[in-house]
Amino acid sequence: MKVSLNWVKEFTEASMPIDQLVAKIGAQLGAVDDVVNLGERYKDAVIVKVIASEKHPDADKLSVCLIDDNNKVQDVERNSDGLVQVVCGAPNVHADMLAVWLPPKSVVPATAAKDPFTLEAREIRGVVSNGMLASAQELGIGDDHTGIVDISETGEVGASFAQTYALDDYIIDIENKMFTHRPDCFGMLGIAREIAGICNQPFVSPDWYRQDVNIQTPVSESLPLAVSNGASQQVSRFTAVTMSNITVGPSPLKLQTYLSRVGVKPINNVVDVTNYVTWLSGQPLHAYDYDKLKALSGQAALGTRISKDGEELRIIGGKTIKLRDGAVVITSGDKVVGLGGVMGGADTEVDENTKNIVLECASFDMNLTRKTSMEYGLFTDAATRFTKGQSPLQNLAVLCRAVEEIGKLAGGKLAGPVQDIHSDLPQPTPVFAETSFINSRLGLSLTDADIDKLLGNVEFKVSDSEGKRTVTPPFWRTDIALPEDIVEEVGRLYGYEHLPLNLPQRSVEPPEVDKQLAFKTTIRSVLSAAGANEVLTYSFVNGSLLDKVGQAKEAAFHIKNALSPALQYYRISLMPSLLEKVHPNIKNGFDKFALFEMGKGHIKKHLKDGELPNEMNILALAYADSTKSADGAAYYQAKRYLDYLAQAISAGGLIYEPLPPELDFAIVKPFEPQRSALVKTADGNMLGIIGEFKTDVARSLKLPARAAGFELDLSVLANAQSMKAYYPLNKYPETIQDITLRMASGTTYAAAEKVLSEALMTIGTEQGYIYQLKPLGIFQKPEDKDYKQLTWRIALSHPDKTLTTEEVNSIFGMLESSAKEKFNGSRV
Amino acid sequence: MSYSNPEVQAAQAALEQRFESMEDKRSILRAPELAALYDRLKTLPAGEARANFGKEVNQLKLELEKKVREAQASDVKVEPLDVTAPMDINASMPELLSAENGSCHPLMSEMDEILNIFYRMGFGVVESRELDDDYHMFTSLNFPADHPARDEYDTFVTDEGLIAPAHTSTMQNRVLKEYKPKLEQGQPIAVVIPGRVFRNEDLDARHEHTFYQLEGVYVGKDVHAGNLAATIRAWLSNYYGRDIDIKIQPFYFPFTEPSFEFAAGCPFCDQKGCNVCSYTGWIELGGCGMIHPSVLREAGIEASTYSGFAWGFGIDRLVMLKYDIEDVRHFESANLKFLRQF
Repeated sequence: MKVSLNWVKEFTEASMPIDQLVAKIGAQLGAVDDVVNLGERYKDAVIVKVIASEKHPDADKLSVCLIDDNNKVQDVERNSDGLVQVVCGAPNVHADMLAVWLPPKSVVPATAAKDPFTLEAREIRGVVSNGMLASAQELGIGDDHTGIVDISETGEVGASFAQTYALDDYIIDIENKMFTHRPDCFGMLGIAREIAGICNQPFVSPDWYRQDVNIQTPVSESLPLAVSNGASQQVSRFTAVTMSNITVGPSPLKLQTYLSRVGVKPINNVVDVTNYVTWLSGQPLHAYDYDKLKALSGQAALGTRISKDGEELRIIGGKTIKLRDGAVVITSGDKVVGLGGVMGGADTEVDENTKNIVLECASFDMNLTRKTSMEYGLFTDAATRFTKGQSPLQNLAVLCRAVEEIGKLAGGKLAGPVQDIHSDLPQPTPVFAETSFINSRLGLSLTDADIDKLLGNVEFKVSDSEGKRTVTPPFWRTDIALPEDIVEEVGRLYGYEHLPLNLPQRSVEPPEVDKQLAFKTTIRSVLSAAGANEVLTYSFVNGSLLDKVGQAKEAAFHIKNALSPALQYYRISLMPSLLEKVHPNIKNGFDKFALFEMGKGHIKKHLKDGELPNEMNILALAYADSTKSADGAAYYQAKRYLDYLAQAISAGGLIYEPLPPELDFAIVKPFEPQRSALVKTADGNMLGIIGEFKTDVARSLKLPARAAGFELDLSVLANAQSMKAYYPLNKYPETIQDITLRMASGTTYAAAEKVLSEALMTIGTEQGYIYQLKPLGIFQKPEDKDYKQLTWRIALSHPDKTLTTEEVNSIFGMLESSAKEKFNGSRV
Repeated sequence: MSYSNPEVQAAQAALEQRFESMEDKRSILRAPELAALYDRLKTLPAGEARANFGKEVNQLKLELEKKVREAQASDVKVEPLDVTAPMDINASMPELLSAENGSCHPLMSEMDEILNIFYRMGFGVVESRELDDDYHMFTSLNFPADHPARDEYDTFVTDEGLIAPAHTSTMQNRVLKEYKPKLEQGQPIAVVIPGRVFRNEDLDARHEHTFYQLEGVYVGKDVHAGNLAATIRAWLSNYYGRDIDIKIQPFYFPFTEPSFEFAAGCPFCDQKGCNVCSYTGWIELGGCGMIHPSVLREAGIEASTYSGFAWGFGIDRLVMLKYDIEDVRHFESANLKFLRQF
């Protein structure tokens, strides 16, 4: 919301320095986006009188002018009469007119904000021009560049243009969202009232702004109009009046500068008045050409109804929109002439030939206006205001004000009675708000009188009725309904900087720790200590990534309104996102790394009413190695990480099982079944998947030859944690010996190890031996692929004795025979 | 496949023979014989003969493409692994990467640090959802359907109408409900809600569609706006390890009344003005306010007995300020050049 400080000052003092005022607005009204010093932009523009204007000797379209600035400007070349020579290309320049002169060294105001253009005295076709006479466009006050600004009103020769037209102004741009609930703050009047309020000054609205306005009925109804409100549910008040004898033309410069200050383009006197009154009060108005309205539909009528599918409307600007069912439209007979609350139609627009008009001032439902505005992509000043819920109680006042101004500026006369259709209009509801309540919510100790003054300044009425403090908001405040709303009002007007900074009471009961989060912190430190890098990637993926890894898109939640195609689907699992990040890092010069992420996966399923999809907490790690030197399959590298992690969090004894070929889970899709395993916890709960990736996945994501990873259900992993097991330190020495067993290639490592560890466990439980079993290597001769050799290192000890050689030999003999018996392994 | 045209027959025979001995099977598709057939096609006069010739040439090309595909598929010999083994055959035990290259994500480390402060201040923690419904994201927070306040939230929406939460407040109703019984036993609700949130907007150095937020909720008896300001100040002072000045300024949110924006006195220049605070001495950090009575009531909490406050801020911004990070997109880039600096 662009606020003109000079405009505001017509209603309240606001005399403090601009910096202080802006800080105060930020602290007590709403965040300020920008402050523009307009005065600086116009400081050199001077009102001058053109004394002589003659054709340029060498150019048909240029005139050489002598201007009188009453000797106001220094350091400029003058003739013996003190006049300044300026070359001007405008066809409308003539002797005796008043114009705006931009002298040498001044900056053309329209260029000041972006790319300042500084004028100088320079020759134009051999004749010196000292600066220029400016058009509305060059001054940044309108679009007109066909001629120079002709100050038709009286102006003082040599006076500052800025001062004469109140352009010595500051434009304070307050963020619109501050006023989502404040319809009144979309007009200068409302802003002025608030500024008075936060400066603790009483504000009194001008006489014309009240709800009980009496408009004089004209003697004769020369322009009859049938007004109806078919959409009365959505249009709480529909008010219109006709005016005749209109002469449309440009507005006086003064009015144009009001609008240009707040960024509104001047159009013509009638439209400018409606815009002026809108920016003054916050209430939008619309003017129709009465004769066009009548010609279009064959009847002088104006009404509202709900739009129907397939109807069309040519809107201002000339574009034709196809309407759908459900918007409020303004009609004349069966013709649609406007999109209610949003935009008027081009076919009934007021133009230079308009003689008679209809002025409409209506109250459109804020939610429907928003819907319509979004649906048709029309974000207009009117829609901005109606979506805040303008009070229908101000319509008459605003309409009368516009009628009066149009009468003054365009010669219009009332040509019929004001027609005002509405049902019961909601009056401001009194709110009970005890001073003690207000103080308890703000931590303050204000008195009744303090509150009366603060609220009274902005025209609230506070009374004591039946022992209750009753606050009645003024009619324009549609946002006040609760005692909390009064708390906000009082706190803000008083100043939040006065709030007492006391910490709330707390109990000594320790707060609950989120176990899942704490667990993630543990994993983060364990994996980063093992050289892995934690990453975060988007929760959304491109459909093409799902294709690449073979995950069905139907299994992912589809986002219907994403701005970018990279964000089409909620990811099902994390691994595809990680794999996508492998190649860019290799390209960046990293040849060996492990990326891990903890995040959420979503798998689409049919949801019952009100049911929400399950959010699976996932840990994924991807290992990648593009060096040629590595030995062994990447699978074992990923497994190394997982075994290390399991050990670190005491979730040891994970079970790795070959992937069942029929397994059809989305999460396993990127993995190559022959070189991957399902991972289960020691007690058999499904934990996730580990493995290398399918060839086509590796190819399409440009993975290096050695790449593998795992993806786990974090909640299952968290539950698999156990306490660390402690064994008393042994005072007897440990005997360490290796054992190598030759076995058929088809025997799995786990099967062989199980035999050894079970045998060791038996002598452990029965005879108290302490043992440690550690894999050392797996060997296979190239010429003997049917067999392999597995070597373990075994550390043996006993809490009560030193082991003898015979004892050790007998234990190894026992292991040897178990191996022979269970998997036909032979000791080497 | 048999061809009737002698030229095509000859080409097929030649190509098939060469294919067997080829190293790069795909290069068969660029063979001169094939190109010559297409060139020949162009010279033929329009008519049935040309059409038939064209059909056969295309047929040959498709046949070759199929051969290439099959060759590539069988090219990959997938050897099964012993998935239970700790290491590969004839390979050494795999080693973990060097600890010095490991790293934690800066956003997550910061989140841990911040949560730690709130734990010490007596706040419990509840993690936010990443996919939620309209009720929790809007309705329960006093945003009626079609309410203009929804315009401030450009949310991602799924086909089912589910929403990628644009703020961690999406958890407020759940938290209030969950802790209500304790509240009624005299224990104030004190919870912080960390989570990943989403805004459907274009990316640039300062805008991410995905970022992290932390929300705080406190409800008890006689809780006032001064408590809110004091709580935020206490947290910030602890976080920056020095007394931090704060200011709260009016704002609008449908779920708080009154609503504020809060700013911290710039800790990087003692509020004297620096690059970080754009020479204002203040850093805007987030939004806050007294929880709207409708929000309390929606969770079954008696709004005339209890009052409370809530606040929220972005973690990404704090981390960017802390390390002077120039581009918010680094966070989700998984770029090791970025990550290994933390």
